Amino acid sequence: MKKLALLFSCTLLVFSCQKVIDVDLNESNPQTVIEGNYTAEDSTVVVRITNTSSYFNSDASQTVNNADVTITDVNGLTTNVPLLEAGIYILENYAPEFDTEYTLSVQANGETFSATCEMRTPVLIDDITYEFFPSIFGADAGYAPFLNYQDPADQTDFHLITLGVNSKEWSELTDILQQDDALVNGNYVERPLFGRSLFEFGDTVHMHFRTVDEKIYSYYGQAISNATGGGSSAPGNPDSNWDNGALGFFSAYSSSRKSVVIE
Amino acid sequence: MKYLISCLIVFTALTTSAQKFTISGTLKDATNGEDLYGGMIKVKELTNVGAISNAYGFFSLTLEKGTYTLIFRSTGFESKETVVELNKDIELKVELDIPKDVQNIEEVEVKAQKENENITGSGMDVTRLDPKDIETIPVLFGEKDIMKTLQLTPGVKGAGEGNAGFFVRGGGADQNLILLDEANVYNASHLLGFFSVFNSDAIKDVSLYKSGIPAEYGGRASSVMDVKMRDGNKKKFGMSGGIGLISSRLTVEAPIVKDKGSFIVSGRRSYADLFLKLSKDTSINQTQLFFYDLNAKANYRLGDKDRIFLSGYFGRDVLGINDAFGFNWGNATGTIRWNHLFSNKLFSNTSIAYSDFDYGFNVGSGEDGFGISSSINDINFKQDFDYFLNSNNKMKFGVNAIYHTFKPGELSGGNSSFNPIVLDTRYGLEAAAYIQNDMKIGSRWSLMYGLRYSAFNLMGDGTAYEFDGNGVLTNSTEYSRGESIALHHGLEPRFSISYILSENNSIKLGYNRNLQYLHRVTNSTTSSPTDIWVPSSNNVLPQLADQIAIGYYQNFNKNMFSFTGEVYYKALQNQIDYRTGASNFLNELIEGEFVYGKGRSYGLELQLQKKKGKFTGWLSYTLSRALRTFDAIDNGREFSARQDRIHDISLVTMYNLTERVALSAAWIYYTGDAVTFPSGKYELNGTVIPYYTERNGYRMPDYHRLDLGATFYFKEREKFEHNLNVSIYNAYNRENAYTITFQEAENDPTQTEAVQTTLFKIIPSITYNFNFK
Repeated sequence: MKKLALLFSCTLLVFSCQKVIDVDLNESNPQTVIEGNYTAEDSTVVVRITNTSSYFNSDASQTVNNADVTITDVNGLTTNVPLLEAGIYILENYAPEFDTEYTLSVQANGETFSATCEMRTPVLIDDITYEFFPSIFGADAGYAPFLNYQDPADQTDFHLITLGVNSKEWSELTDILQQDDALVNGNYVERPLFGRSLFEFGDTVHMHFRTVDEKIYSYYGQAISNATGGGSSAPGNPDSNWDNGALGFFSAYSSSRKSVVIE
Repeated sequence: MKYLISCLIVFTALTTSAQKFTISGTLKDATNGEDLYGGMIKVKELTNVGAISNAYGFFSLTLEKGTYTLIFRSTGFESKETVVELNKDIELKVELDIPKDVQNIEEVEVKAQKENENITGSGMDVTRLDPKDIETIPVLFGEKDIMKTLQLTPGVKGAGEGNAGFFVRGGGADQNLILLDEANVYNASHLLGFFSVFNSDAIKDVSLYKSGIPAEYGGRASSVMDVKMRDGNKKKFGMSGGIGLISSRLTVEAPIVKDKGSFIVSGRRSYADLFLKLSKDTSINQTQLFFYDLNAKANYRLGDKDRIFLSGYFGRDVLGINDAFGFNWGNATGTIRWNHLFSNKLFSNTSIAYSDFDYGFNVGSGEDGFGISSSINDINFKQDFDYFLNSNNKMKFGVNAIYHTFKPGELSGGNSSFNPIVLDTRYGLEAAAYIQNDMKIGSRWSLMYGLRYSAFNLMGDGTAYEFDGNGVLTNSTEYSRGESIALHHGLEPRFSISYILSENNSIKLGYNRNLQYLHRVTNSTTSSPTDIWVPSSNNVLPQLADQIAIGYYQNFNKNMFSFTGEVYYKALQNQIDYRTGASNFLNELIEGEFVYGKGRSYGLELQLQKKKGKFTGWLSYTLSRALRTFDAIDNGREFSARQDRIHDISLVTMYNLTERVALSAAWIYYTGDAVTFPSGKYELNGTVIPYYTERNGYRMPDYHRLDLGATFYFKEREKFEHNLNVSIYNAYNRENAYTITFQEAENDPTQTEAVQTTLFKIIPSITYNFNFK
């Protein structure tokens, strides 16, 4: 729908214009922001804890350095996640058990927060194919990669995808593409992926295909929409898996990666 | 029902005595035989006695035996006097002429009220527009648009820059009942809202009811916009049209049998895409982007007592990029009507109307292609009676049944990797019965009281779901075809009272309760054809609105000026919004994504209008609030609805400079929309995310704009007239904010900035209109 609105906007572009304006925004009380990622592929838990700041403040986010961070597995075994550098807590060599839930607990800013996420068995990329796309609406022509994978029929699956080219990784929040199986359950999926631009002959294209749980999938959708300005007339904070009002998320996820040279 | 009618008759009969006879008949335009709606029939010898012609030009007036002088009057026509000797029932066919001595263009008169009907009528103020009267008002791209002109009247707010959608008195955009010849129009806009589906050339009259809504209308909570198509010229062949920047129009009309029947066919097509074909870029020159409308209507008189009407509308928007992508949507409506006179006092109208709205996407072609489609359609039966009991009592009663078919969504996959999905089709029966009496008591009081009973039955087949307070599925039940899933019903009282202080001023009070069984839930900034209509169900309760309004009306300088002041309070129940992060795309569990709340709105509307002379127009001011409360939003704190524009001013002026040149200007100012802006920020994945603290806690910058227009009439020939309309939208080039987005600065990701998008800066346009008579 947003793409459609964009297309219409393009046709109206003749008349429209954009400019940076001053807007007087309220100051809000700082809120705790916890970004927790447990990646199966390197068995590492990384937790970044910060506070919100006023919107036009250009300083780096204020970090929270005195938090107690622990992770608990399905058997109730709790492991400490120690502070490594300002605001960043890291636990390495923490081997995942797929299809079980992990709970991250944080004591920070005088409050206790916890979030639970399921570490799903990774769905694997089968192949990356590519196809040439001619120039469209003035954009350069080039190759688009196709993600090929077999969707498992007996479960609902949620994926986040990022692309990279040569030594560059397109890994910002707004680069993330989403794929679920609501329309393709049990099928062999071939989907073209469009990143920041199309690829050139000779490029090495990297694909990172994450398997996440439903709550995280939905969170990313909302966060991406907020970060890009959104199409919603009434935006809200993304629906987080943190209790107690913390912003951010705790995502335990597994990955599959593949690369291909366009030739 | 019968009991009610007899009660009313007994009640109203108390005020009658002596020997009485009825004068009935039809009022028409002498030049083309069109019925005159809202024409006045006054009795010279009696004060405050008269009748008003209905939508089919029919009137009925019952008086005591005697000799009377009847005056027939309608705005824009010469009035006519007839002396009648009333010693038996009389039937009259009255045709009114357009004044000969006055040039057409000097007749620019705004028909929002007929002479002093605003003072003497019993109902609350109705906003009426005739496309002829507003043709010189400047509009975006020079496309005459009755829905945009309505937005310039008090209490009606446009859905956004250049948008044809509207909000009435703080209600939602889905709370307006939009009828085209009695058929429901579900999506009244083209090109994502920039143009309405109503081609002015085919429209005879538009009435907008904001309060004291008559009992014959139901199904929407806030307002009724009743659009009537022209009948076509009954006297002779005519062809008219126009060529504009966005679209061209052509209308053909002619008698079927002179003075007995006529037809009209009117078409319009936009052609922005024809310019795209000039591009060398294949992706651009193969892009399709257009809309078209076709209106057709025919009517035929079978004898003196019967008349048949057939009318239809078909319109579509088409958008596509060669074979890669296609998107189209549109409305189709059709109405068959039969007018029958049972007696000179009982007028009957029977209608069967069909309406359909659907949209479809298709992506790719061949074996990898897939498509998505959705539709809603209605079959509507309506039986209305006008019963002119006596000169003091005019009754209306009738029944209405609508059979709805909802197809919320379907994905056909072909050989693509998508699985086909068909969401359950739902059926709904919406039925209503109503009775209403319009009553005069003495020379100063009039009363309109009515009652509508409506019911909605949602039927399977398919699965109905139940959810807990967090939208989590708790239970599902299977239903077979035709089995009732949920039944909702209720009484809708309607009432208004008016007291005539003098011939020139009056006060009125109105109350109405409206139930709404279908809901269009939307969370995007622009209206979209993919906004879905959701029927009331086991989860979704009917929306309910109660409104009370009080008005003061004054005319001065021999009805040259009129002043209207109204205050209102409206309470809304069972309002719907999406849960945070809701997904509405082919979601069979969509009802789990809704949250429910209530709303209220109140305001003061003032309008000063000059209706006659070389210089006409109006100044209107609205002071109003529109508020909502949802338990699930901001912990139940009351917040402003998006359309909560506190101050709203419109100044519309039309001036006939010479016989050949008409000038016009419109200036609009309103408080910026209530919007949600961030009150902080944080980072995720190295990207800045806005942090929101409250719903709609901020305001867009105030909106204002001046539009200018000039119409040049070329020398008129006997059989041909033509004119050129030049207009400038946003003449002082105000950069009004369409959206404000918050994002990382493009060249410095450590900085954040607010970016304002302005949709339309200054836009000149030109339209050529012609008419073969």
